[in-house]
Amino acid sequence: MHHVVLERWSRGASFLHSRDARVKILVLLAYLVALATTPLTPAAGACYAALLGVAIVAARLPLAGLALRAAAVLPFAGTFALFSLLAGDGARAASLVAKSYLSAAAALALAGTTSMPKLVRALESLGVPRFLTLVIQFLYRYLFVISEQAQHMRLAALARGGGRLRFTHAAGAAATLFGRSYSRAEGIHGAMLARGFHGRMELLADARLGAADVLFLVAGVAAAVALRLMTGAAA
Amino acid sequence: MHIPDGFLSTPVWLALDATGLPAIALLARRARRELEEARTPLLGVMGAFVFAAQMINFPVAAGTSAHLVGGALLAIALGPAAATVVMTAILTVQAFVFQDGGILALGANVFNMAIAGVLAAWLPYRLWGRGAHRRAAIFAAGALSVMVSALLAVSELVASRVPVSRAALAFLLVVFGISAVVEGAITVAVVRAIERLSPRVIRQGGTEPSWVLALCGAGAVLLAGAGGLVASTNPDGLQWLGGQLDILGRITNVFTAPLADYRARWLGSPWAAKAAAGSAGALLVGLICVALGRAAARPRSA
Repeated sequence: MHHVVLERWSRGASFLHSRDARVKILVLLAYLVALATTPLTPAAGACYAALLGVAIVAARLPLAGLALRAAAVLPFAGTFALFSLLAGDGARAASLVAKSYLSAAAALALAGTTSMPKLVRALESLGVPRFLTLVIQFLYRYLFVISEQAQHMRLAALARGGGRLRFTHAAGAAATLFGRSYSRAEGIHGAMLARGFHGRMELLADARLGAADVLFLVAGVAAAVALRLMTGAAA
Repeated sequence: MHIPDGFLSTPVWLALDATGLPAIALLARRARRELEEARTPLLGVMGAFVFAAQMINFPVAAGTSAHLVGGALLAIALGPAAATVVMTAILTVQAFVFQDGGILALGANVFNMAIAGVLAAWLPYRLWGRGAHRRAAIFAAGALSVMVSALLAVSELVASRVPVSRAALAFLLVVFGISAVVEGAITVAVVRAIERLSPRVIRQGGTEPSWVLALCGAGAVLLAGAGGLVASTNPDGLQWLGGQLDILGRITNVFTAPLADYRARWLGSPWAAKAAAGSAGALLVGLICVALGRAAARPRSA
C-alpha cells in the first residue's frame, strides 16, 4: 500500500532525515509560499524544480518513485488545465500543472524524510491543537488495519461469487465495516487505558533544535526567498 | 474536490487559512469538551473507516461505480463538532501523505469539506432526522454535503481567476449534481444498514420540525454554496457593492491609520484589501453559522 512505501522512505538516515521536523515544515512552507506567489515562467519553474531536486537527491529518496507518486495531483490539475487550454490560455494551463506538481513533490519530500509520529508532534508544537493531532495519529495508525479488513471483506465476497456487489449489498458491507471499526475503537481505548494512556502519544526522544537544524532552517528559507526575488514581481 | 497547491491565488488561500484553521482549533476544543474521553480513539478509527470504506464500490447506472465520501455519515454518526475534527484529520493526512489536496490550500479544503460540508449535512439531519421525513433528511445530508463542498471549491477557483468557461462550469455542475445524488443514496443505504446491524450507534437527529429554522438553514446552505459561486463569477458586482458601501476603503483605513507610511506599500494594495474583505466575509458567515447552530441546538421545552 501507498503509505507503506513512505514508512520505508522515512526510515532513512540522510542529513535531511535527521533534521528537526519543525524546521522541515517551516522550510517546506517557505518553499510553497515562494512557489505559490511566483508568476511561473519556464525558467522560474526549472529553478524551483532544481532546488527541490537537490533536496530529494540529498535525502537519497528514489527520484523516479517520488515523481510517480506526486502524479496523484494530475487528475485534478489536468482537468482544470484542460479548461484553461480550452479557454485559450496555454501558459496558464502549463503553470497550473507545474505549480501543483512541484508543490505535491515538495510535500512528499517532507513526508518521505519524516516519520509520522515526529511530523505530528512537530505540528503540535507549531500550534495545532493536541486533540486534533491525537485524532490524526489514531487515524494514521488504524488506516492500515481497517483498509486491510476492507480488502479481506472484498476478497471474501469475491470468493463467494459476488463479483459485482449489488447496491444494498455494498451498503451492508460498509455498515459491517463501520460496526467492526466502532467496536475495535472501544477495545483500543480500553487496552490503552490499561497501559496507562493519559491523552498523549509519547516519542522515545524529545526533539531538540541543534546547530545543524538552525543552519538548515536559515539556508532553506534563504534559498526560497532568493528564488522568489529572482523570479519577478508579486503575483 | 481536493484543491492542490498552485491553483488558488494568494488572497484566497491566505484568507481561508486565516479563518478556517482557527475555526478548527475552536471546534476541536469544543468537540473535546463535548465528548467523553472514550471517544478520542473512536474519532481516529472512524477517520480510518472513511478511508477504507472508499474501497467498497457501489454500482451506479451503466456499469460505473461510486464510493462513499463520508462527510454526512460522520456528521450523522458523531455529531457536527466531532465530524469536523475527523474530516480535518482526514484532509491533513491526505495532504501530507497522499498528495490529495495542497498544504497551503489545506485551509480552503478544510473550510469546504470539514466545516461547510459537515454543516450542510448536519442541518437537514438535525431538522428532520426524526419521524416521517428521516430518509429524505439523510439523503439531503449526503447530497448537500457534496454539493456545497464542490460549489465552494469551484467558487474559490473562479475567484482565483482559474479560467473556467461557461460550458466547463455547466459540465462541472452536472458532474456535481450526479455525485450529490449518488452520495445521498449511498448515505441513506449505509445509515439504514448500520441501524439494523448496530442499532445503538447512530445518534437520533431532529427535534420538532421548525419551519423558521429550516428556512434559516436553507438560506445558510444556499449562501454558502450557490452564493459563493455567483459572487465569484461576478467579481465586478462584489466590487461595486464594496464601493457603494465603502467597505474596502474603511477596512483599509482602520488598518492603515496607525501605519500610515506603509499604506501604499502593502496594506493599501488591492490584494491585501481583498484578503481582508474575504476574511471578514468568511468570519461573518462563520458567526452566522455559529448563531444558527446555537439556535438549532437549544433544547426546546415545548
